[in-house]
Amino acid sequence: MTKLLIIIVSAIFVNNIVVTQFLGVCPFLGVSKKVESAIGMGAAVTFVLGLASAISWLVQKYILNQFEIGYLQTITFILVIAALVQFVEMVVRKFSPSLYNALGVYLPLITTNCVVLGVAIININENYSIIEAFTNGVANALGFTLALVLFAGIRERLDFANVPKVFKGIPIALVTAGLMSIAFMGFAGLM
Amino acid sequence: MREAIKLGFFLLITCALVGLGVSYTNALTAPIIAESEKLVQEQGLMEVYSDAEEIKDETEKYLSSEDSVLKQVNVAYKAGKPVGVIYTVESKGYGGSIKTLVGFDIVSCTITNIKILSHTETPGLGAQATEPWFAERFQGKSATADLEVVKQTPQDGNEVQAITAATVTSKAVTLGINEARNHFQVNFIEAF
Amino acid sequence: MNYWKEFSKGLLSDNPVLVMLLGMCSVLAVSTSVINALGMGFAATFVLVMANIVISSIRKIVPSNIRIPVYIVVIAGFVTIIELIMKAYVPDLYTSLGIFIPLIVVNCIILGRAEAFASKNGIIASLFDGLGMGLGYTIALCALAFFREVIGAGKLMGISLFGANFQPALIMILPPGAFITLGCMLAFLNKMQEKKAS
Repeated sequence: MTKLLIIIVSAIFVNNIVVTQFLGVCPFLGVSKKVESAIGMGAAVTFVLGLASAISWLVQKYILNQFEIGYLQTITFILVIAALVQFVEMVVRKFSPSLYNALGVYLPLITTNCVVLGVAIININENYSIIEAFTNGVANALGFTLALVLFAGIRERLDFANVPKVFKGIPIALVTAGLMSIAFMGFAGLM
Repeated sequence: MREAIKLGFFLLITCALVGLGVSYTNALTAPIIAESEKLVQEQGLMEVYSDAEEIKDETEKYLSSEDSVLKQVNVAYKAGKPVGVIYTVESKGYGGSIKTLVGFDIVSCTITNIKILSHTETPGLGAQATEPWFAERFQGKSATADLEVVKQTPQDGNEVQAITAATVTSKAVTLGINEARNHFQVNFIEAF
Repeated sequence: MNYWKEFSKGLLSDNPVLVMLLGMCSVLAVSTSVINALGMGFAATFVLVMANIVISSIRKIVPSNIRIPVYIVVIAGFVTIIELIMKAYVPDLYTSLGIFIPLIVVNCIILGRAEAFASKNGIIASLFDGLGMGLGYTIALCALAFFREVIGAGKLMGISLFGANFQPALIMILPPGAFITLGCMLAFLNKMQEKKAS
């Protein structure tokens, strides 16, 4: 139990996947102009990453390790993730049109979101059990959502700030992300 | 429906061709990878315990298969007699697992040297654990009592100074070493 | 020929990192030292060139509604190949780049070039496009790594520059430094462009 708690705190705050590990920076800069869309993206990633962590763990253990073809890991995982995203999209569209309206636009973007593939590989590298892998997946996705929502909140206000002309847009967003990263380093004391 | 089968078939062929190419590369590189891993392992062992004529892997004799920290035991021999023990330990650091080699001398009952094999610590902070000056902080420490991580200059013989701003990493490395030290004391010092 | 144009656009005017803002994850993460940056740049260039060549040569037979999965499989194949090669011949570099080598698969530059260029152009043009984009990526990566390594660690290519008494600005090598340095680099480029325009 304590181990799971450590995984959760570590993934959300201490080793936040976006601002300290640099995974998922593209959607972080791209989809974070509005708090609403940040929440939508975060929810979609949480959903997919939880499933992807569990499934990729099973694939690693019962297919790749069983046949000793560990070198096919990258290809297999990306295929699993792509298929999963397709599948989730179909299921959501069929059974919950309202959810599909909220998440639909973000789902196709997730296949090439490095958070998903990255966490799937980290789970294997760290020798996690399936429960730990699933927990790590969901916790990392929550960390991603947290960073995304906080950042979107800052950027909404940044629009009204008097930023030097050359810094307008992405440059000031990157500097803001850097300051956020410094703030997150303060969580190191939790470990 | 026929369209779907056709598309599936195309995808299958692509996967098969790519898989073939990757398998071929794997067949070419696998022996080289095994060779270079063996070389790194041997060099690491020599670095941690240099005064040996022969080093044997005796993991099965000393460890149960499911030990969470201790991963490997190598015994160093000189003139047919065991003189040192080298452990491979794995402990959880700040960013993930840290794999460390630690060597003990049986005669003097001290730590000879340590070497970080792999880690995912923060560059500039925890990653400094791979620097030689960090290994020096462990050299010559007695293997009869647990080591303790301190933030100031060590006062006591079994205190080790942490890396500035990377206490978690220093503690993780020390935890692994303590585990090995304990095993070493029970199996190699008290048994003889 | 205009192959030179295809090659040179990736270096500056359409630089994938500095102008199109793609592939940020790996740029920020591996720019802690120039050696890492060079290794990563080389690996990504290899994948870009090979994927561009293959995708361009099969562009007429791939059914358009499954083209993305096909591209991803091809890219993943080349990523695994370079991963195995690096593991065999430069194991140290392989360990220090770690998870970011397999993550080349989801680097938006590569899929972006496959979709935007290789699927519409001939093999040789795609080759030069891949080479130019790969080099542009490497240049951006190395520039960022240069500032971070020199200021943050007082070293260049692992060699100490300022002697033992130099206290490096550690923050540059830590994650925040990556964001801030890249932000300042982009602002500087904006400034240059402004000057040119006026």
